[in-house]
Amino acid sequence: MKKKLLAGFLGACMMTTLLAGCGSDNKSTESTTAKDTTEAKKDDATEATEATGDAETTETAATGDGEVVNVYAFTDEVPNMIKKYIELHPDCGFTIKETIVATTDGAYQPALDMALTSGGADAPDIYCAEAAFVLKYTQGDMKDYAAAYDDLGIDTTAAIQAADIAQYSVDLGTNPDTGKVVGLGYQATGGAFIYRRSIAKDVFGTDDPATIAEKIGPGWDKFYAAAEELKAKGYGIVSGDGDIWHAVENSSDQGWVVDGKLTIDPKREEFLDLSKKLKDNDYHNDTTDWQDAWFSDMKGEGSKQIFGFFGPAWLINYTLAPNCGGSAVGEGTYGDWAVCNSPIGFFWGGTWVLANKDTTKKESVKKIIEWITLDCTKDGLQYMWANGLMNDKGTKDAVASGTVMAMSDGSVDFLGGQNMFDAFIEGNKYANGKNLTQYDEKINSFWRDQVREYTAGNKSREDAIKDFKQNVADNLDVVVE
Amino acid sequence: MKRDKFSYAKYGYFFCLPFVIAFCLFTLYPILYTVVIGFTDLKGVGTTTFHFLEEPFKNFDLILHNNSFRVAFKNTVTIWLTNFVPQMLLALLLTAWFTDRRFKIKGQGLFKVLFYMPNIITAASIAILFKALFDFPMSPLNDLAVRFGFLDAPKEFLRSKTVARGVVAFIQFWMWYGYTMVILISGVLGISPDIYEAAEIDGANRTQTFFKITIPNIKTILLFQLITSLIGGLGMFDIPKSFLEGQPDNATLTTSLFIYNQAFSGSYMYNKAAAASMIMFAIICVLSAIIFYIMRDKDEIELRKIEKAQKKKMKEMKQMKKGGIA
Amino acid sequence: MAKAVATMTAKKDKLTGGQLVFRIVIYVVCIFLAILSIFPFWIMLVNATRSTTEIQQHAVSLIPSKYFFNNLKIISGKSFDPWRGFINSAIVSSCATLCTVYFSTLTAYGLVVYDWKFKRPFFSFILAVMMIPGQVTMIGFYQMVYKIHMTNKLIMLILPAIAAPTVVFFMRQYMIPSLSLEMIQAARIDGAKEFLIFNKIALPIMKPAIATQAIFAFVSSWNNLFTPLVLLTDSKKYTMPIMVSLLKGDIYKTEYGSIYLGLLLTVLPLFVIYFALSKYIIAGVALGGVKG
Repeated sequence: MKKKLLAGFLGACMMTTLLAGCGSDNKSTESTTAKDTTEAKKDDATEATEATGDAETTETAATGDGEVVNVYAFTDEVPNMIKKYIELHPDCGFTIKETIVATTDGAYQPALDMALTSGGADAPDIYCAEAAFVLKYTQGDMKDYAAAYDDLGIDTTAAIQAADIAQYSVDLGTNPDTGKVVGLGYQATGGAFIYRRSIAKDVFGTDDPATIAEKIGPGWDKFYAAAEELKAKGYGIVSGDGDIWHAVENSSDQGWVVDGKLTIDPKREEFLDLSKKLKDNDYHNDTTDWQDAWFSDMKGEGSKQIFGFFGPAWLINYTLAPNCGGSAVGEGTYGDWAVCNSPIGFFWGGTWVLANKDTTKKESVKKIIEWITLDCTKDGLQYMWANGLMNDKGTKDAVASGTVMAMSDGSVDFLGGQNMFDAFIEGNKYANGKNLTQYDEKINSFWRDQVREYTAGNKSREDAIKDFKQNVADNLDVVVE
Repeated sequence: MKRDKFSYAKYGYFFCLPFVIAFCLFTLYPILYTVVIGFTDLKGVGTTTFHFLEEPFKNFDLILHNNSFRVAFKNTVTIWLTNFVPQMLLALLLTAWFTDRRFKIKGQGLFKVLFYMPNIITAASIAILFKALFDFPMSPLNDLAVRFGFLDAPKEFLRSKTVARGVVAFIQFWMWYGYTMVILISGVLGISPDIYEAAEIDGANRTQTFFKITIPNIKTILLFQLITSLIGGLGMFDIPKSFLEGQPDNATLTTSLFIYNQAFSGSYMYNKAAAASMIMFAIICVLSAIIFYIMRDKDEIELRKIEKAQKKKMKEMKQMKKGGIA
Repeated sequence: MAKAVATMTAKKDKLTGGQLVFRIVIYVVCIFLAILSIFPFWIMLVNATRSTTEIQQHAVSLIPSKYFFNNLKIISGKSFDPWRGFINSAIVSSCATLCTVYFSTLTAYGLVVYDWKFKRPFFSFILAVMMIPGQVTMIGFYQMVYKIHMTNKLIMLILPAIAAPTVVFFMRQYMIPSLSLEMIQAARIDGAKEFLIFNKIALPIMKPAIATQAIFAFVSSWNNLFTPLVLLTDSKKYTMPIMVSLLKGDIYKTEYGSIYLGLLLTVLPLFVIYFALSKYIIAGVALGGVKG
């Protein structure tokens, strides 16, 4: 009996396998059929590196109308933009195949690296890189895979001028060897302080952004004085030390690696003390960013109410708004927020869009990239992006093009009708991109881990720094002294 | 010997050929390749070309002096020990109960099925499930602890190094004690009932029978379990990787995870990873040698010894005869 | 005399008393362990049907709720694709299982039936390499696969299954007592070719052993995370264990119900196998003692 069952089961498995082999994947966004046959022929990755400019020998079966553009991204943001483009331009002649790998645990970079180096039909035509690792793809280990925008047929210099693109976005996206732009962002990610109006009124008697900015800044001393005032009324100033970390990280003068050597910028080292102060004085809920407890604080459901978060405009759209416990004024904390200038200037995040230099779909890739990063007309992505025309929710975001920002309006219900662009344009001044390195994602996680150990009282300050250096030395190809 | 008879020997080679080919391609060659890489400068994503180092043992030296590797090795051994000792003790206890001759436990079959169950489930899924169970602020464990008054407010359990490591060891324990128990039971059932009967007649009690008869008789199985478990434990990857990625403060970093991190993230240092792999390989080889010694076909070795001895005797006799004639 | 009898009965009573305690302890421990085995999975099952809000209020509930399909909708809206993972894992595991059991039986047959010069050394060799874990060969394996452009090919997860030393060892041990050489001799006289004899006579005799080993080969291949994690970067080729890792990603951070549902979907096939074949599996463990 059992034997029969087993035989039946294995049989069923085989059947599934066979069926799967025959009739899977009829989704419109992808073509799996061509993949297997073409991939076997692909060039050696190193060869391809040397032969810059040569057309790739590999060809996808689908050309012309059915062209499929491979997109690698770590959120659905850019893929959705491209879908929007296709929707707006039904005759554009391409569809996309998206591969989305979340950046959690650093899973995205290995996946992207493999895909780029393996080449072939599955290689990405367009790929996205986050501020934390964009340098690796524009100026670091992986820079040779990125196509110059010029080579796609874009008149980059003129377009950047016309759109008045934020300088740091250009700086980060420029390959130092050729001096050419290989990647640009569509957002402006200058940071501000985003706070709860109700708490501001309760503690400081007003929710006016200019007054609150005076209360919490400039400088950390005033910030901690405000924290003390908030604590007296039972509020925490921030949710966890991660919130101030992003402000610290991107206001520092030097990046983690200078001339191949690990460097701890004094401002970053000070983070140890800032974090300890938060913890020892119980100014926060001691949450870790991107963990459940952090999100709870956005709803106001943490162990104590939290005054605010440091962040750029995207934090409002993608993190605060979806986690505030409502979607209209009066629900959850929706509408109870406002934005003011941060006690220290910083920027955080941003997505850069790059093209694979071996892409065979240059025309389509050019259309997409130009539309996303450089089109400053009302039909371009950035205008729609800044004015909430991309989706029904009407979420607005600060964009890279100054031209577009000048003709956009950033008032949203979530912020009680405040025009958020005022504060964020101010924040953009501080974004410079000079303090980023290609290993930031990894090094940051080592650093944050050790800071947590220190603030929790498990380690001395010296040991935390020592162990941090040790971890970097052990795990990365960086010189540590 | 007889030339006229058709020799089937070639089929022996022929039938074993697929195994040999697959083994050479997918195990032997990779091992050799790994050894070679350990002596080179191969690093960086997508790199396949390499040069031998001027100081050939530099990578090995770096790894042996690499603090994270040491921590990882220590963690691996700690986690293995804290899971194996209780696992073995519990399995032995359950074995004693389940093979008790005077008292048959009802529902034995069901218990075995349930105890063994976690072993068959994907370790990665289990690790993520446990992470969800221990999460902060709202997780089943926090919920229960707060509801039954053990805690006033939810606690972030996994930020503690001891707890994180303990949970990994517990998962490992929980997944494997049922397996160990089933193996031990089958070993005990293989012991001749006569021995037990004799012991009963002599008036031995449960404890005495267990320590004087059962344990000595399953010694080999216990040793085998110890070593296979140790080898498995040294390669532990799925659970620490899926659970906390080695966090917090490298508390759940195991050697396999270390090797993976060296080679497939950050700076893609294949050479150092290869050197670390070879160090692990050497340790596992020693352990394997012990297994090999236990598992060798004893009867056959005895038989061959006798054969050899006989041949020797024959030879000697022949020589003696020759000598005698001469 | 009477006193002696009294003490004897008392002793007997005491014995049964102790016996009772002993039994109660055994059952309490066993039931506790049984609950320990079930509890995490039960929570997973129940929470898969509950909404995120419900879980946030109380993460433990014994009663399922009605948000199963809602969770399903959330989960299928993201890059987590359990169906694709299931298909990939099914392809890899079935083919790898076939390779393992067929070629291992073949090798064992070569070792048992024929007398050849290197037979003994070869068997010793198999014993020697039985314990080599995949992790230590991975760097070289990856470099090799990468060089021949076979990353993201499921076949590279299947072919290595041909050489499974532990299974060969098991098959040989099973084959020695159960396969009669006379029968093979008889078949030869009837003019059957060697390969045919293996397929028609040896394989059927080995069926029970093959079945046991097939289950274990299948399960261990299904559960393997390391090799696919290294070789597969294309999400369309992800196997179930890698798919599971996606559940840790940012995109699900706040979708509690969906995380549990995703986990449930990944382990469901294994539960089905296990409960259909549990007796068989446990007998197999007892028989082989081969670690998966």
